[in-house]
Amino acid sequence: MTVMATAVPGSARVPGPSRVLRLEIKRSVVPWVLPLLAALFYFDTIRTASGLPPVWTLRASAITDHMLNDFDAFGAGLAAWVGSREGRRKTGDLVAATPRAAWARQAAALGGTAFWLLLAFLAGVAVLYVQTGLQATWGGPPLWPVFVGVADVIVVTVFGFTCGTLFPGRFTAPLVAIAIFLLDFAGFHAALNVTAGSSTYGLLAPDTSPPPVDAGVFYHGLPDVPIAQVMFMGGITLALLGVLGLAPVLRKLASRGWPVRGTLVDGDGWWLRAIAVVLLAAGVAASWTAYSLAGTAKLTATGWEIPALHDAASDEPVPFVPDCTSGPDGFRVCVHPAFSGYLSDVAAALDPVAAEIAGLPGAPVRAEQVASVGTGPGGFEPSYIAGNPAVFDYNGEQVGDLFGGFRGIPAGAGPFWRAAFQQGLLDSFLAEPPHPAAAARTGLAPLGAAQQAVEDALMIAAGSQPPQDAVQGGQSGGPSQAQITAAARRFAALSPSARHAWLAAHLRALESGQITLGQLP
Amino acid sequence: MTTAGVRHQPVVPAGMARRDPSGVRLTWLYVRSRRVPAGVLALAVCGAVLRAALHWHWTFTSGPYAQQVPLIIEAGAAAAIAVTSHGPFGEAERATGRWLPYLRLGIALGLTGVAIGLLQLGVLGEGLNQGVLVLARNVIGITGIGLLCSLVTGGLLAWTLPLGYMAFCQYALLEGWTAPWTWPVRPPADRGAWTAACVVFAVGLIVFTVRGPRTRLTDNG
Repeated sequence: MTVMATAVPGSARVPGPSRVLRLEIKRSVVPWVLPLLAALFYFDTIRTASGLPPVWTLRASAITDHMLNDFDAFGAGLAAWVGSREGRRKTGDLVAATPRAAWARQAAALGGTAFWLLLAFLAGVAVLYVQTGLQATWGGPPLWPVFVGVADVIVVTVFGFTCGTLFPGRFTAPLVAIAIFLLDFAGFHAALNVTAGSSTYGLLAPDTSPPPVDAGVFYHGLPDVPIAQVMFMGGITLALLGVLGLAPVLRKLASRGWPVRGTLVDGDGWWLRAIAVVLLAAGVAASWTAYSLAGTAKLTATGWEIPALHDAASDEPVPFVPDCTSGPDGFRVCVHPAFSGYLSDVAAALDPVAAEIAGLPGAPVRAEQVASVGTGPGGFEPSYIAGNPAVFDYNGEQVGDLFGGFRGIPAGAGPFWRAAFQQGLLDSFLAEPPHPAAAARTGLAPLGAAQQAVEDALMIAAGSQPPQDAVQGGQSGGPSQAQITAAARRFAALSPSARHAWLAAHLRALESGQITLGQLP
Repeated sequence: MTTAGVRHQPVVPAGMARRDPSGVRLTWLYVRSRRVPAGVLALAVCGAVLRAALHWHWTFTSGPYAQQVPLIIEAGAAAAIAVTSHGPFGEAERATGRWLPYLRLGIALGLTGVAIGLLQLGVLGEGLNQGVLVLARNVIGITGIGLLCSLVTGGLLAWTLPLGYMAFCQYALLEGWTAPWTWPVRPPADRGAWTAACVVFAVGLIVFTVRGPRTRLTDNG
C-alpha cells in the first residue's frame, strides 16, 4: 500500500473557520498578560470603586474612567503584536499559498485576540457588579457603561491589529499601546473641561468627569451620549475593518504606485475589496454622524442631552420610597434608599441641633435628601429650608460648606462630618428670611457675627465643635473671631430653656441682622 | 589532494578591499540586528510628542495629573529601549564569541542616555512638571523594568511590564502613594526613589548583560 491509496480526490478538507479560530484562541498571547491586567484591575478599578458609595451608576463609572484605560492600552498593543505576526516573521509569501484567504487568517487572529480581551473585560465587569450588588441598597446595574466598554475594547483591538498589519515591526506594539494611553488621557482631559459645542471629543471619549454621587438615582442616567459613543466607536471599527480588507491593495499601491482603479478591480478577490470599500464608507459615515450628533449636545439638569437621540420619558424622576427615621424629639430624617447606609449617621448629626431649635418659627420638622444636580455656585443644589411646615432639603454632594458628604463610606463619618452637617442646617435656619427654594439655590448670604455666634453656641450645646475653618464671622471691620467665640461660649452656657426662650423672642431680629454681638445674653 | 593549496590568503573582492575595523563592524551589525536606528527614531518621536504635549497643553500644569502625560511618554521611551533587546538569531548567536555581553551592555546604556537626552531636548523651552531629574529617573527605572522583563518574555514583548508599571503609577499618582518603589510619584530629589530606580536599572542591566533576553527557536522577527 502506498500513500497514493489514501489520497482520495475531494477528501482533503480545509479546516473550518471555527477550528482556525479555536487554534488562535488557544495560542493567543493575551492570557499571558492577564495576570498583569488583573493586578491593574484590582488596584485601579476595584480599590477605586470600593471607596465610592455603593450606588450603581457611580460605581459603574469606574468601568469607563479606570478599567478601560488599562484594557485599551494592553488590548491595542497586544492586537498590534498579533496583527504584525506575518509581517514580523516575514511569512507573507509562505502563507500566501495556503487554501485560506488572507482576510480569513486575519479574521481568525483578530477574533482570537478580541475573544480574550472581551472575556477579560466582561469578567472584570462581573466582579465589579457582583461587589456592588452585595453592597447596594437600591437600583440595578447600568448597562450602558458595559456597552460603551465593549465597543471601546473592540475598537482599540481592531485599531491595534490594523496598525500591526500595515506597519509590522517590533516597535509597532509598544508605540500603539502608548499612543492609545495618550489618547485615553487626552479624552479624560477633555471630559473634565467639556462644554456644550466646544469639546466634542470630550463627550465622545469613554472617560467622563467624575459623576455626582447621586447620578442615576433621582433621574435616569441619560443614554444619549453613550449611544453616540457606541455609534462613533462602531463606525471607526467598521472603517478599520474596511482598511484591513484593503490592506493587500494598499501594499500594492505602496510598492507599485498609482493608478488605484486597476488595483481595486484586478484579480479574483474584487468582491472582497468592494465589501471593504463599503465597510470603510459606512464606518466613516457612522462616525461622522455620531460626531455631528455629539456636537449638538447640551447640558441639562439630568445630564448631557442630544436632541436627536433624546427620549423625553427619561427626564421623568425615578419613583422611590425614602428611607426615614424619627429622632426622640420627633425630627424626621429621610434619605434616598440608595443611601440607606448613611441614614443613621445623618440622623445622629441632625437630631441634636434640630432639638435645639424645635418649635421656633421656621424651624424644620423634617430633613429630606434631594437631587444634587442644579445650578448652584458649586454646580450643585445647596441645602436650604423651605415649605410649611419647614423642611430642610439637603443633597449628597453639598450640605452647607461640606462638599461630597455622601462620598466615602458611612463608617467614615467623623466629628467634622457631623459638625458640617449641623452647620448646613443652622446656616439655612439662621440666614436672613424668607427661605424660598429659588432664592436659597443661589447660595445663602454669609452669617453675621451674632448669627455666627448663635450657630456656634447651638453646635456646642449639641455636643459638637464648630468647624473653625468654616467660620464666616470676623469680617473686616467687624468683631474679631475671639469675640465671636467668647459670645458663643456665653450663649451656650445658658440653660436650654433660656436659650430657647431668647431665640423665640429674638429670632426674626437675629435673622435680619438687627442683633449685635453685644446684645447676645 | 592536500590542503597545501589553500594555505595562501583567499582573494578579496575588489569592493571589499578596504574594510572597517572588525570591532566597529561587529558593533554596527549588532546595532542593525537590534533595529537600534529605528529605536533611536522611536525615541525621537517620543521627545517630539512630549514637546507637543507641553506646547499645546495636553497635560495639566500642576497637581497629581501634571505628571501623567510625561510619565506615559517616558514609559514609551523605556519600552522602545526594551524592545531593542531582541535579537533575530536566537540561541545560535550565543556561541559566536565573547563580545555579545559587552555589546548588550553598551547598547542598553547608550540608548538609555540617548532617550534621556532626546526627551530633555524635547522639553527645552517648555515647563516640564518636576523637571528633568524626574524624567531621567523615570526613564532609568522603567528601562530597568523592561530589561528585566525581556529575560522572561523575550525582547519583543518586553514592553508589557513597563507599560503595566506605568499604568500602576498613574493610579499611585492619584492616590498619593509615597513608597520609594513607586518613584514616579516622588519629588525630584527624593533619595529613596532614586535608590529604587537605580537599583532596578542596575539589576536589570547586569542580569540582561550576563544572560541576555529570553530566546526561542521561533525568534526570527
